Amino acid sequence: MPFLAVTVVAVAAFLPLVVTSSYILSVGVTMFLYLVAAMSLNVIYGLLGLLSLAHIAFWGIGGYFTVIAVMDLGLSFWVALPLAGLFAGVVSIAVGFPALRLNRHSFVVVTLIFALLTTLVARDWVSLTRGPMGIPGIPSPYFFGHEIAGAYSFYYLAGAFALVSLLLLYLFFTSRIADTMRAINQSEDLARSQGVNPTAYKLLAFFLSAFFTAMAGGILAFNQRVIDPLIFDFFFMQAFLIMVIVGGRGSFVGVLVAGAVMSILPEVLRFSVDLRMVLYGLALLAFVTWAPNGLAGWIRERREERLRSELRQ
Amino acid sequence: MNSATPLLEVEGLRKSFAGVHAVDNMSFSVAHNTITGVIGPNGSGKSTTIDCISGFQRPNAGRIRLDGRDITRLTPQKIAKAGLIRTFQTVHIYEAMTLRENLLQAARPFQASGWVADFLRLPGMRREVDAAMVRADELVDMIGLRKYYDAPTRILSYGQKKLVALAAGLMPKPRLLVLDEPVAGVNPTRIREIEEVILNLHAAGESFIIVEHNVEFVMRLCERVIVFVGGSKMTEGDPKSVQQDARVLEAYLGIPA
Ligand SMILES: Nc1ncnc2c1ncn2[C@@H]1O[C@H](COP(=O)(O)OP(=O)(O)O)[C@@H](O)[C@H]1O
Ligand SMILES: [Mg+2]
Repeated sequence: MPFLAVTVVAVAAFLPLVVTSSYILSVGVTMFLYLVAAMSLNVIYGLLGLLSLAHIAFWGIGGYFTVIAVMDLGLSFWVALPLAGLFAGVVSIAVGFPALRLNRHSFVVVTLIFALLTTLVARDWVSLTRGPMGIPGIPSPYFFGHEIAGAYSFYYLAGAFALVSLLLLYLFFTSRIADTMRAINQSEDLARSQGVNPTAYKLLAFFLSAFFTAMAGGILAFNQRVIDPLIFDFFFMQAFLIMVIVGGRGSFVGVLVAGAVMSILPEVLRFSVDLRMVLYGLALLAFVTWAPNGLAGWIRERREERLRSELRQ
Repeated sequence: MNSATPLLEVEGLRKSFAGVHAVDNMSFSVAHNTITGVIGPNGSGKSTTIDCISGFQRPNAGRIRLDGRDITRLTPQKIAKAGLIRTFQTVHIYEAMTLRENLLQAARPFQASGWVADFLRLPGMRREVDAAMVRADELVDMIGLRKYYDAPTRILSYGQKKLVALAAGLMPKPRLLVLDEPVAGVNPTRIREIEEVILNLHAAGESFIIVEHNVEFVMRLCERVIVFVGGSKMTEGDPKSVQQDARVLEAYLGIPA
């Protein structure tokens, strides 16, 4: 497993030296950002079973915050980006308190309302966001005097960001903190009877999911060089959600694989955006029907069946 | 602390659901280092009382003290941390986790290291895990399920799951463990072994409240037995006197006095 991971990272790192097509590199950029966004959705939805429709809001907030911080406040991109993560994290706590008061269903509703509200703000608070026209002419970030512009350098920026984020998230998914979240997801009453305070874990998960997604959204905006309310498009939400479900809720490796395949495959097949939605929809239907726990769940269930028959003997 | 202070003190407890008194004017207390049995017909308020003691239900009236400390309005997690652990009548375990993971998870909230230590795998966290592993090893042998140690608990039988819940309750060495029908569905030979184990733990200083329909189990284990009828305490005493009490026979066993 570690060998495979190192190989994949090495291949990804040397790819731009071999492949010069900026189209392929831009697919890579998208994949890196989607992977981080999907994996952070996997924290709140996968580990805790809390379907956060606010995920798309944090993605967009991250984009707008970074752009406005750089263009209007004059901050460096490298400061603005983590600030955007922190800002989204703080917002997630503020939304999380009321959203978590009742139950899982109210959480979905409150996060949906929040997502709709942020879209409205992006469209109607014209003095801040320039409304539906969006903010064009986003400047390139500079890295030690080196301009980051074009697919080649964004490939490395997004790739390095994804590598660091996914390493941190991997450490998280394999920690006891994540285990306690899985426990809460399986039986909140049992966890409480054992001394766990579920709200603290839910807020932490929500914070982390907002933090990483917002930074991914920030890089997306600078890559596009323009940001408008379309960053809140439900397409993104749907894509992240399907990656998590197909990969297997709560599984790091499953979502990593599903995220990569679902980012690359439609490009390879040259599907239009509409056709891509159809493909995603079909994949979702197939998995919900035949493997509701995703790739990882399917493999786990096969293993369990074998274990069951072994132990019976 | 002070041995004159009861370990658990329940005073005038009342809980109603939509006007129906599930528990009414319930008072009893439990001394340190004892095994107390609770028996009573179905619907006599045993589980509701446990829910109130452990913070899962808010009582309409009454006081609950653990070792002199008022825990009446605390959340379940705070009560657990204060040292009162309860199990559930309907099996509650982490079905997707292995037996080992179930036991380690049960110890987790009682360990000192926080999120940072967990995330960075600091040495303190590793020591805690090792210590919990030793305890889990003892308990898994005690419930006789070592064969299933690394199997997801989903594959276990109902009785085996009850035993996992029992072992998980014991993991943090609580001051008081409240068991709601711990051996319902457990096979009879295993029940005798569990009795052995509970007696050993009791000898080592553990205190229990055991709600059970298996009267022989209760009578063999407990030094005091409390009888619930219709949401309040009807009587209490040592197993012999309770067993001979005509009112108990009538109310609980349906034998007219
Ligand atoms: N959540 C609830 N809502 C309504 N009635 C309840 C609830 N829980 C318990 N009851 C009622 O309270 C009474 C006591 O139930 P319970 O405490 O479960 O009894 P026991 O555990 O002694 O069998 C029963 O009449 C039961 O129907
Ligand atoms: Mg009951």
